[in-house]
Amino acid sequence: MATKKKSSRSKPDDSLLFYGSALYDFLSPFKRAQNQWAARYTVVIFAIIVRSAIGFGSYSGAGTPPMYGDFEAQRHWMEITQHLPMKDWYWYDLQYWGLDYPPLTAYHSWFFGKLGSLVDPAWFALDVSRGLETETLKSFMRFSALVSEVAIYVPGVFRYTKWNGKAIKHSPIDQTIVASCILFQPALMIIDHGHFQFNSVMLGLTLLSIVHLLYENYMLACVFFVLSLGFKQMALYYAPIFFFYLLGRCVDLQTPGLPLSKRLNPFRLFLIGTATVITFVLLFGPLVLFGGLENLKQCIHRLFPFARGIFEDKVANFWCFSNIFIKYRTLFSQEQLQSYSLILTLVGFLPAAILIFFKPRKNLLPWALAVCSMSFYLFSFQVHEKTILVPLLPITLLYSTNDTNDMAIISWINNVALFSMWPLLKRDGLLLQYCCLMLLSNWLMGNLSFITPTFLPKVLTPGPSISLVQQAKKRHGLPDGILWRIIILSSYIAIALVSFADLYIQPPARYPDLWVLANVAVSFGCFVLTWLWCYYKLFILAF
Amino acid sequence: MSEVRSRKKKTPVRSSLEGSIDPGSEPKSPSPSVKSSWFSSKEPTKGTRNFSLWNIWVATTILKVLLFDTYHSTDFDVHRNWLAITNRLPLKSWYIEATSQWTLDYPPFFAYFEWALSQFVPPRVVEDGCLDLVEKGQYGWATVVFQRSTVIITEIFLFAVLQTYINLSENKTLTFIIAGSLVLSPGLLIVDHMHFQYNGMLFGILCCVILCARHKKHYWMAFWFAVLLCFKHIFLYLAPAVFVYLLRAEVLDVTQKNIIKFVKWQNLFKLGAIVIAVFAVAFGPFIYYDVMPQLLSRLFPFSRGLTHAYWAPNIWALYSFVDKILVIVLQWPYINGLLSRLIHVPSREVIAAKIASAGNTGTKGLVQDVAFIILPNITPRVCFLLTLFYDVLSVLPVLLNPTFKRFIGALTLNAYASFLFGWHVHEKAVMLIIFPFTFLITEKRLLNCFMIIAGAGYVSLFPLLPSQNIVKALYTFIWFVIYTVSFNEVSSHKTKHERVFMFDRVALIYTLGLIPMVYFVFLLDIFKSKYVILQKFEFVGLMIYSVYCGVGVIGSWFGLSWLYFFEDSLWDSDTDE
Repeated sequence: MATKKKSSRSKPDDSLLFYGSALYDFLSPFKRAQNQWAARYTVVIFAIIVRSAIGFGSYSGAGTPPMYGDFEAQRHWMEITQHLPMKDWYWYDLQYWGLDYPPLTAYHSWFFGKLGSLVDPAWFALDVSRGLETETLKSFMRFSALVSEVAIYVPGVFRYTKWNGKAIKHSPIDQTIVASCILFQPALMIIDHGHFQFNSVMLGLTLLSIVHLLYENYMLACVFFVLSLGFKQMALYYAPIFFFYLLGRCVDLQTPGLPLSKRLNPFRLFLIGTATVITFVLLFGPLVLFGGLENLKQCIHRLFPFARGIFEDKVANFWCFSNIFIKYRTLFSQEQLQSYSLILTLVGFLPAAILIFFKPRKNLLPWALAVCSMSFYLFSFQVHEKTILVPLLPITLLYSTNDTNDMAIISWINNVALFSMWPLLKRDGLLLQYCCLMLLSNWLMGNLSFITPTFLPKVLTPGPSISLVQQAKKRHGLPDGILWRIIILSSYIAIALVSFADLYIQPPARYPDLWVLANVAVSFGCFVLTWLWCYYKLFILAF
Repeated sequence: MSEVRSRKKKTPVRSSLEGSIDPGSEPKSPSPSVKSSWFSSKEPTKGTRNFSLWNIWVATTILKVLLFDTYHSTDFDVHRNWLAITNRLPLKSWYIEATSQWTLDYPPFFAYFEWALSQFVPPRVVEDGCLDLVEKGQYGWATVVFQRSTVIITEIFLFAVLQTYINLSENKTLTFIIAGSLVLSPGLLIVDHMHFQYNGMLFGILCCVILCARHKKHYWMAFWFAVLLCFKHIFLYLAPAVFVYLLRAEVLDVTQKNIIKFVKWQNLFKLGAIVIAVFAVAFGPFIYYDVMPQLLSRLFPFSRGLTHAYWAPNIWALYSFVDKILVIVLQWPYINGLLSRLIHVPSREVIAAKIASAGNTGTKGLVQDVAFIILPNITPRVCFLLTLFYDVLSVLPVLLNPTFKRFIGALTLNAYASFLFGWHVHEKAVMLIIFPFTFLITEKRLLNCFMIIAGAGYVSLFPLLPSQNIVKALYTFIWFVIYTVSFNEVSSHKTKHERVFMFDRVALIYTLGLIPMVYFVFLLDIFKSKYVILQKFEFVGLMIYSVYCGVGVIGSWFGLSWLYFFEDSLWDSDTDE
């Protein structure tokens, strides 16, 4: 890992970060600070347009009875929360997509189920609507995902880039460009609006929580984080950092020579605790109220399915990767594997958690979150390939930086993350969308602008960003360090080869999963590198 | 409109596309080295920016590829069938073949074009059923990808023409906005890339005609227009303006007193030769095979009804609407009784009998005759005479003083006349108005008319697509906002004339009203499955669309006509400034 010099510029040149990107070309007319609102609305509307365009495509489990896929699961939850009393939500016909997310998902499903039933009750008729696949239903489901994202995730992104942009002295236009880079992150778009899930709600709530940590509204931060946890238990991947960061904020270990009694801030600790507990009670209370403690137990049991294997599909984490060489399932029992994965995960995130406790600094927060959630992704139990979205959120937030090297690495890891979901997206029939989004996000960011002038006639080269800027000022998709360049280029070549093979070459009969495993190997390697890199950056920044 | 808007939001937004205008403020605080490098680059002009459509092309192409999977209309199968006909049959039976109901009814160049496309169909797509001569196409994903890609690829012609237009112009900011608004047109996105047609390329040719007129390349202009006519004969509606402009600018010599020398015979023959040559290439083979009668009967089917499947938002839409209202009103006994004392109205029994015998009242979405109950019926002759009248009226000023501006104005008014009064008008023909009109927006006073026709025209295309498709609405909305604001910034106030009374306020209210209108019809549509009563009034949504948009189209036509005939100073310019 060669060049990781800290960004030494105190005030970056105006928008030089993004010269040569299409986003800058499109948004530069809004450069003046007072026009930013217009730029933001334009970006949001185009983000919605692209998302709904993805939505015309296929979705998970389209036309595959009897179980269908995630789309049917979400629809099914809207159906059962409509018609069943709350005490039955976590018990009803568990074999057919039983509810296995925390209560906020259930409430969210209930809300959209009610809304949809207003339009057409047949969409969510109990039992008889199973496997329903009409165009109008699809549109409604897509609409629900869009509305949820626009209501929660999008404001979070803008507030984050605004705060962070101010902190690192980004010009207003750069803040907007960074926000659009984050909004056009391909992996989340394709999973939520192609494959179909509501990840943006969970991620958006976490993001709002991060924003409130930055603005030092600790109670609100707690509320949002608990809501995020209450939407999908995957938010637990962030929990250690939130816990230790908040704890660190209640204990002043920075100022030297303070007496112990002054170091503690018990009032803040009390408020944080109260906010957390109250939110939890409000979320889970109804379950207990209407179904007794038994209901709560069942809910918790549904959330943490330890009975399932250490990994389910092929996923680019440590267990699945090393399983190629060591067959864990034959060597160890389920319980052993559980404790091993717990230990490895703990070892993976503890340094970051301890660091953030002793140095609860705002600029460390995304790095620590990235490291922590990546450890969970790599080492914990029962990870899905879509879970990469969880570590990808804090990593993508790091686009808000002045360091073009970091930016290049982050867009690289975003591409790899999208690639790691290739088998899933191929199954869903979303490869066209996959290619378009891969191209779109990189091109918007300017990662591809180094090619543009070389094959276009002079008169067609776009500007001001590309045509008239020195080669050195152009954004390019690679960092400066030679080692990183080799790593990134070779990983891109590997990605291209694996994709090509997967599309056109029949794997040998003995290894039907060969290309998927190759995918896992490549992605795992890149993820481990990212994880180490984030650790490295975290400690460099901290000391 | 502009005033209200800018008052509301203190700072007018600048479009994403005109960034450029003030070179001085381009980088807010660039280091000197950067700045000097900019100016030392090869670009000699004052701008700091190449006005290139490249980025727009990439962005929209990705969006259009994402839209592959969306709904396409029967026009898709129509074009697929044409691919099959031209590929599988000898030329002489192209216009005779009738296995499918989607017979070839475009002029020969379009048939050649389809033939050329069919040469590129990959084997996989052929297997998919792309080139099967069947009654109803049995095709799959591969055919969709192939045909959709051909639309995207052929549309590059439009981009190329408009890029040339920008490069050749002096005021690059202005032309860049005009060109951008055309290539990003929601009409093309809706009609070409979702509904499915090849308008992008055809309008590319039209822009080529306009570009030639702008640079006084009159022979090229004649050539391109002849080519355009041989691609799609709907452009015949624009022929009067082109004909008169060429006649006046190239053929007639008004300074001559001598009646023989009054006509520049040489030029006339040159022009005639060009046009005849193009037509000969197009129609020659069919004359040779002696299939011209069949060809012509395909091109001009007079058996169709007054209004198309949907009502295009024109005079006849309002006419039908009035008829419907009268039917309802006159069936109230008191009103009928009261009115029959004053004027002659049919009695209630007569009306009921007429309704029963008519059965269809022009709203069932079928192409057939419309019977009006109360108002007199409209014959093709009436339509033709009305269109002709307004065509002649609008080309007269060109005959007197053939400037570029006046030519474009006449072109636009011709399109208006055919759209408003034509027989069996498609709602898609509204782009025929909007495209030439866009080239006129250099003057603020035309902007109001343009924004009304653009808003009403593009919104009237919405019923082509399923109602739950929100891309069309959002895209049109953002296009409208961006281009209203940017046209507002670049267009100038040439004349110090009073505003037409209240016109801009009404225009603003009207365009804002499009949003609740669309929303209301959307609600009507989604609740149709739930409430039976809404199913009975299935046509109400379409009627609201055509009536509301029709009012806008007619209003903007009034506005433009007024300025065209009474504000001479607007039309004397020969450039685009």
